[in-house]
Amino acid sequence: MIRGAEIVLRCLEAEGVDLVFGYPGGAIMPLYDALDGSGVRHILTRHEQGAVFAAEGYARVTGRVGVAIATSGPGATNLVTGIADAKMDSVPLVCITGQVRSPLIGTDAFQETEVFGVTLSLTKWSRLVRTLDEIPEVIAEGFHWARSGRPGPVVIDIPTDLLKAKKEFAGRVKFAAGTSPTRNEESAFAAPIVALLQQAARPVALVGAGAKLGGAIPQLRQLLDDLNIPTFATVHGLGAVPSESPYYLGMVGMHGTRAANMALHETDLLLVFGARLDDRVTGEPTRFAPHAKIVHFEIDPAQLDRVRACDVPVIGDLAETIPAFHEALRRIPRSRKSGETWGTQPDGSLADWSEWRAVACGRERAELDPRGLAQPTIRFLDELFGRLPQNSVVIADVGQHQMWAAQRYRANSPRGFITSGGLGAMGFALPAAVGVQLAKPDACVLCVSGDGGFQMNIQELATVHRLGLPVKMVIIDNKYLGMVRQWQQLFYERNYAETDLSDNPDFVEIAKAYKIHAWRLNEDAMREFPVASETGDLIDSFLRSQQPELLVFDCHPEANVYPMVPAGAALSEMVFEEE
Amino acid sequence: MQAFHIHYRNTQGTLMRILNAVSRRGLEMPSVHAEAAGQNHRVTLLLEVAPKQVGQLCREWYAIVDVTEVRSAAHGHEQADAWAAPHPPASTNGSGQSAQAALA
Repeated sequence: MIRGAEIVLRCLEAEGVDLVFGYPGGAIMPLYDALDGSGVRHILTRHEQGAVFAAEGYARVTGRVGVAIATSGPGATNLVTGIADAKMDSVPLVCITGQVRSPLIGTDAFQETEVFGVTLSLTKWSRLVRTLDEIPEVIAEGFHWARSGRPGPVVIDIPTDLLKAKKEFAGRVKFAAGTSPTRNEESAFAAPIVALLQQAARPVALVGAGAKLGGAIPQLRQLLDDLNIPTFATVHGLGAVPSESPYYLGMVGMHGTRAANMALHETDLLLVFGARLDDRVTGEPTRFAPHAKIVHFEIDPAQLDRVRACDVPVIGDLAETIPAFHEALRRIPRSRKSGETWGTQPDGSLADWSEWRAVACGRERAELDPRGLAQPTIRFLDELFGRLPQNSVVIADVGQHQMWAAQRYRANSPRGFITSGGLGAMGFALPAAVGVQLAKPDACVLCVSGDGGFQMNIQELATVHRLGLPVKMVIIDNKYLGMVRQWQQLFYERNYAETDLSDNPDFVEIAKAYKIHAWRLNEDAMREFPVASETGDLIDSFLRSQQPELLVFDCHPEANVYPMVPAGAALSEMVFEEE
Repeated sequence: MQAFHIHYRNTQGTLMRILNAVSRRGLEMPSVHAEAAGQNHRVTLLLEVAPKQVGQLCREWYAIVDVTEVRSAAHGHEQADAWAAPHPPASTNGSGQSAQAALA
């Protein structure tokens, strides 16, 4: 006979879990009591939100299910932002929460929150466990749904009396799901797409996270090499296509490259691979790709036709649908290569889409900020990224630095750039970096935050120190909530309401209090080009340190992220500076 | 007014997830009727929806783990032959019929 808590841990082990992130408390204490001697390593964060973001970081970089544990009431509600984040960004996540004793449920007991109801709309699947017998089945099913199809978050709420109760454990239960109702039965979709492609004069491809989530990166890259049409990525699609690919035009959307946004505006056939086409990608949806037919490869039918109607839906796992389409493409002789007729732009400004690539990858730095206030920061990120070792992972928080980092990121690893894209949750990066570093102990893990977001989970410096994780933390410190301030500057007549953070604490001193080495770099060090060798050496030693390090970079308070597509504008209506 | 039949396994929270797809859009629910239907359950909803929302709702319901079937028809025309194109959503094929089903 073993306790319910031990059954939970054995079931986690059976699912391949060897690492969980959490924070103890009353209702979940039996599970913590059983940890010692189990095969599951627990990482104590300093806040439940830190735990769930760390679990997300682990899941995002490995593709495995991340696990977060919290107690009832406030412990569980502190997980909510991470659960919402995992839902938006399709992250496989299982959250296990303690609940008050079964007889107390519904009585407003101490630390009772109906976590099942609170998280219902944010989860892919959830259960309040009612009997000891169902624990193995619930955990098996929860892990199945977290990792299957479009991955997502699962909540399993377990009353504390069930964690304490004892029974015989018969072993792991395997969950067998029925046939997915959205499964592709055949590949008849391929021929119509090939026909559209043959008719198209200006076809393009847009890559989101779906290919990497579906393990379809090799198939996607082979297809794109064959298609040789202008291709761009969403923020979650970065790294799916090698940046040196001759057809790659960079990131698309609100802060995408001019090349990518203009190509998307001019195209007559848009192939979408695993992207949700949310408003940050489309701009004003009624004027998104106005001349194009849209072919949408997507595993989740709920994502079709949300913002902009598609003409040809291809529903299914991209690891199956992309090769099926590619095979059909190979069989049908094409009279010309798809991209060859690009170049008939009415204004003649860019006669060939390869010129757009030159804009994307050559003079782009000037395009990003004509007034120059952001130039030192952009150069700093270029220096950082250019000196990263091969096996690096960049984790960006949310705000201006996130967009600069996304614009400058040039690595080719599909899981090499991690950020909270859909939800845009400030405070994500530092705890997520903890999860990434634990998953990839030999990788160089670079966490890029702003001064606002870093303070939202600054307590996880204690976790970094306790574990001795060699995370490289960078704060782009502009002493503002920079992205909000930028919008206030551009659209609210410079009314900088409640975005001034000029009374920030001294981050270097704070890091030292956590026993983490920290230093500051002024943006003046980035004004000369190339940067002085001493500065380069400092950055190199920062990136190669075997200890946690914090680097605070002073950024101009009014540096802005450009290009920018204003709210309600089409992608072609990017602004490049304040008007 | 549009009528929807959604068949589902009556597991924890499935009906709530179905209703949540409606409430998150701020839609009124003048009529909700849930009952056992064979081995599963069925909920019938009457909703005032824009044409585009019909397809969006159907696809969102299909994404719920324990939903097994979704059908819709204009209210007052719910006789068997008037129910909308078959779901689940499917990829396009040469005839375009499946595309219509996917995006109905």
